[in-house]
Parts: sequence; C-alpha cells; structure tokens
Amino acid sequence: MEEKLTQRSVWEKILNKLRKRSLWMLHYCTGCGAIELPPTMTARFDMERFGITPMVTPRQADILLITGYLSAKTLKRVILTYEQMQAPKWVVGFGSCTINGGMYWNSYATIKKLDRYVPVEIYIAGCMPRPEAIINSFNVLIQRIDEGKANSWKDYYENYDYYKKNQEAVLGKFDTLVDIKDDAKKFNIV
Amino acid sequence: MIEKREYELFIGPNHAGISGNYSLHLTLEGDKIIKAKTDAGYLHRGFEKLMEERLFIQNIAIVCRICVPDPDPNEENYARAIEEIAGIEVPERGKYIRTLVLELARLASHLFTFGGHAGSIGLYSLPNWTVADRDRIMELFEELTGGRVYHIFILPGGVRRDIPKGFKKRVMEVMDYLEKRLPEYDDLFFENAIFIKRSKGIGIMTPEQAITWGATGPNIRACGIPADIRKDDPYEAYPYIDFEIPTRTEGDAYARAMVRRAEFVQSINIVRQVIENMPEGPVWNKIPNPLKWKVPAGDAYVRTESSKGEFAYYLVSNGGQKPYRVHVRGASVTHGVHILENLLVGARIEDASQIMFSLDACPPEIDR
Amino acid sequence: MEYKTENEIIKEIKKVFKQAKCSIKKERRIEVILNKRNIMEFALRMQKNWDFPHLSAISCVDWIDEKQFELVYHFWSYNKKVLVSAKIRIPREKEPHTDSIASLWQPAKFFERDIHEMFGVVFDGNNELEKYILTDWDGPPPMRKDFITREFALNFYSYREYNPEWLQEIIKQGDKND
Repeated sequence: MEEKLTQRSVWEKILNKLRKRSLWMLHYCTGCGAIELPPTMTARFDMERFGITPMVTPRQADILLITGYLSAKTLKRVILTYEQMQAPKWVVGFGSCTINGGMYWNSYATIKKLDRYVPVEIYIAGCMPRPEAIINSFNVLIQRIDEGKANSWKDYYENYDYYKKNQEAVLGKFDTLVDIKDDAKKFNIV
Repeated sequence: MIEKREYELFIGPNHAGISGNYSLHLTLEGDKIIKAKTDAGYLHRGFEKLMEERLFIQNIAIVCRICVPDPDPNEENYARAIEEIAGIEVPERGKYIRTLVLELARLASHLFTFGGHAGSIGLYSLPNWTVADRDRIMELFEELTGGRVYHIFILPGGVRRDIPKGFKKRVMEVMDYLEKRLPEYDDLFFENAIFIKRSKGIGIMTPEQAITWGATGPNIRACGIPADIRKDDPYEAYPYIDFEIPTRTEGDAYARAMVRRAEFVQSINIVRQVIENMPEGPVWNKIPNPLKWKVPAGDAYVRTESSKGEFAYYLVSNGGQKPYRVHVRGASVTHGVHILENLLVGARIEDASQIMFSLDACPPEIDR
Repeated sequence: MEYKTENEIIKEIKKVFKQAKCSIKKERRIEVILNKRNIMEFALRMQKNWDFPHLSAISCVDWIDEKQFELVYHFWSYNKKVLVSAKIRIPREKEPHTDSIASLWQPAKFFERDIHEMFGVVFDGNNELEKYILTDWDGPPPMRKDFITREFALNFYSYREYNPEWLQEIIKQGDKND
C-alpha cells in the first residue's frame, strides 16, 4: 500500500499528538497468539505506561489486534466488529499467519491474506512474537500517527467495493447493518 | 401483574467472561438459566487433515499448537504413540527430562488458571501476580528449549538436547521462590472471604454424575474419586517418583480451585525429586534417517494427564512415510461441551462465567 | 509376562460373543474385533456387567482401498485399570448407517456428532446430529481421503505474490521429497 501523505491542518496535528498517547486496544482473542497478550498487559512488560489499555467493547476501542490465524467463521465476526468501531481505527496483524497463511497454508478452513478483507496498518513477524516485539510495534504505530502517515482506515471507505467483493467470495452474502457510503461522506471521502 | 416470559441471550465470541473464542446461547427466565447450548468452531484449522499430509518428523513442529496454554502433553503423546508402534526405547535420562518439562508446563498452566478464575469474580490483582510469576517458568523454558510458548523439544526416541550447565541450580531457585509466594496467594485469594462466599455451592457435581458425564482430571478429583493417569496407567519416570493425589468431596467451584492449589504443591515436590535423582547417560536413541523413515503398520492409543484432564491420541500407520490417521481427544471435549451445558441449567446468570472458568474448558482442544 | 486381569476379561467376553477376536497388545491394552450388529449389546454389557464406566473416545478411520470405514470404541475401567478397544467395520457409502450408543453414554453424543460432520456417517438413534464446528460449510465431508485439502485451499483462497530468486531456483530443480 503506498504512503498517503495528506495535508494536515493545525487542528489535526494537535489531535494526532493527543490521540497517540491514549490508544485503547480491543481485547478479542481471535487465535493462538492471544497467549502472549496477558504477559504484555500485566506487571512484567506493562504496556499501560504507553497509554494503551484493554477495552471490552468495539465502540470505544481504537486498535483491533488480530492475533494469529482467522478461520472463516471468525472472519465474519471480525468484519462485524471492525465496522462497529469509530474512525480513525487501526488493524495490527500479529504473527506470520496473517501475512501468507503461516503453517496452515494448506488448510481448508483458514484465510491466507488478511489485507484482502480489512486494511492493515502494521504486521508483526514471528510465531509467536515476544511481548517486547508487540510493544515495539505499538511504538512504531505511535510514531506513524505523530507523522500523519497512519491513514489505512481511509482505504476502506475509498475501495469499499473491492473489500466487499472479497468478503462475499469467502462468506456468502451477509448484512452488517452499517452504511459505509453514508459514513464516508462525514470524512469528505468520495 | 408483571408477565413472565422467556428470552434468549447470546454470550458471543468477543466477551471478557469466556475463556477463549467460544460462544454460549442461553435461554433465561428472569435471572435463572433454563437451557444452554454451546457453539464451537471459531478456532478450527483442520489439524487431523494437515497431519496426514506431512512426514512423521515434520508433524512435531505443528502438533504443539493444538492446546495453547499447555502444549507439552501433545508432543509427548505423539512421540510415545510412534515409539509404541515402531518399538523404540527411550533412555532413562530422557524420561526424566521429559517428566521435568511436563511438570513445569503443569505449573505454568495452573498459574494461568488461577488468574482466569480470579478475573471472572472481579479480583484483578491476582492475574497481575500470577502471570508475572509464570514468566519465570517461561524463562526456564527459553533457556532449555529455545522458545517461550511452543517448545518442539520432545521427539520420538528421547529429547532434543541435554540440559545446559547451571540449569539445575536455576530450577531449584524458581521452585523456592514459588513456594514462598503461596502464602501470599492464600492471603489474597484462597482465604479471601468474598471468594469463599461466591464460589461455595456453585456448579455442584455428584460423584455418580461425574462418572456418567465423563469428567476427568481435577474436576473428578474434586468429587472424591482419586483417579489419576499418572498412577493408574503410568508412563515416563512417574513409577519412580513419590507423590500423592489430593481429593476433596464437595464437588463445587471452591473444591476445584482448592484441588488445583494442592496439585501445585505436589508438582513442586515432583520437580525437586526429578532434579535430585536424575541418572547419567544419553538423552536420545537414534531413529533412522528421518526424511526416509517408514514406520511399520499398526495402531496405538496413548493417554496423558495434562493439567486440564485426560488427553489422548489414537495413531494409525499403514507402513508409509506419513501417518494414516491421527485422532486427537482433547481434555475439554467433555468438560466444555455437555458438562457445561448440564451445570448451567438452574444456575443464575451472574455465575455462568465462574462455572466455565472453574471447569477449565479450553476451546482450541475442542475445535482442533 | 503373565497378564492375569487381561486374561480374565477376555474369558468373560468370549463367553457371550463367541465369534469375537480378542488379543492382548501390551500391558493394560486389549483389542476386540466385533461384527457390527453386536456393538449395542457389547456396549450395554461393558457398562452394566463388566465394570467399564468410562468411554474415552470414538475414532473413525477411512480405509479407502478396502472400501470400508472402521469405528473404534475405547472403554476404560477405574477398578481393573485396563483399556479395551472394540473395532467394527461398516461399508463405505455416501451415507452409511450404524447404531448409536448415545442413550447409554452422554459423551457419545458429541463424539458421534463430530464423526457425522467430518466423515458423513449417520448414527440411528441420535437425534442431535446437526453441524457443530463447520456451520457454514457446504462441501463434502472434509476428513474423507478423496478430499484433497491442498487443491481446495489453492483454488478457494488467494495468496500473496512472492517470487524471489532463490525460490525460483528451487522450483527449477524440482520437488525431491514428494
């Protein structure tokens, strides 16, 4: 995905400085990488000192962490969750199963390439990544928000037909009850 | 006059009160649950099919990912099934090192379960303590095997390498530290008046129900029946070690938590005996060239006592280079599916989460 | 080695089922090969007369060359500490039928439901055989030997483009191990 450097007004620059220090992560254990999340959140590796804390409902969260592989049954729930989150929102792909299928590359039940279905901001390599790697990637995300480069969420509004076609090829027709085209008008994206 | 009706509630996959990625459909009348159905399949990868398309030696790398909090019984079962069919012997030092790895995994898994159980009641200090202490065991694993969570250490014929220098001293230090921490956990959690009041009488199972419903592991020992595969069907170095099997008689959530706490003490004892009595010798009996190895035809059923219950593998080989059929029977296949459905009927909605955590149901074992 | 308990159990089984083939594989493991008509009575006697209250698992093996499915039932006794594996064979059709033991053991309901989903075997007498793990799947039963999972995954899902030079050299030399 090419870098989208947009012109930012002074108000947006102030907002980005405030946003980067208070990111809330949705606590959704989608795959086997979720076993390294409790060590990251608790007393030894403590990610709360960066301002990141877990949150249980998607409507109040900023980061969606896809920990590992996704079976087709979970992909439907992840898309419903992703569309309920308010923009700006960032998806972090965790582990090598989100990049190209990982070790389940010949399985009939897992998806292989995550950014055909939702736009992804950062990938973390490893199987599985250490808690220090997770905190490092959060620091990279904070840096990108500060510089104004973290704009992958706008890609969902601009190329909605491409994502919708890929989702329906795997899952069949389903309704998410969210009107994406209507939402896009609020951000002046056509 | 207020009209009473039934209504349905979906406790879905993204919920803080469910251990893992699992969903419950409940039918309620007021506060009481009348009917419960479970829904699994969110973590299905098709493991048994994947294992049929890889060589015997390639399967060791993926077989540990079937159960996420407690991966070592998987490697142990797979290796022991192949050794039974092909007639390979394991040297004595290899058996002792395997027992050490299994008992350290049991300690780490119990620490994780204590944190989960306390989090379901609302005591969030305990997960902070136990997950941080579990990290010391993860450091020992990293020094011995190279990985924190998935080890790939036990293979047919023995273990991969010998223990490094100074490792025995570090293991004893960690065991002393954990033993010193237990009275602090008692003060915070096990003798806490709120925990005792909230968990006594919740999710009671009688001994007849436990046998008919197929409960295994700490769940059946909390009902008064002393059944443990390490004593009934022994394997590895367990015949040479001296340990007891703790039981309680009430069969509710409090009894299950206290049985796990007593097993924690016994595991520390077992690790100390293994370290002190370890014999000298090789750790691996060579298998023929693994890329061209053909295991003779036959089948075997092996069982292990994991921290959650009875874990079993059924392996069939037809004389080729790849396994013909591998059937995995996880421990949560009975606990998380119909024992949970039976125990939820008649319970109140605020205790549903605690019943699931006290049974220690782990969804990746059900879905494979 | 003298197997006292195992030989007593085999004697009791042979008294009722004269055509069954029993053998001792090793310590604490017995194998019994039965005719498929006798499985319901065998399971009933195991539970009530011979003190084997624990059903550990039901496994299914697909012998595609002999055109048969093999179902293996594993029973464990807490008092005698012996495991008995009973094997039966049923013909390999599109929907083979066999008797269900779910009325005797409640765990069997889940095991039979799992085999129905993955292999397509129908158990008469079990009324809860709807799909559990593969709820949105409408293809053939995936654990059968004629379903090739690599082809299905390559056609249905899409992968990332990755063609570095070292990979192209390996592809030119050919796949030696397959």
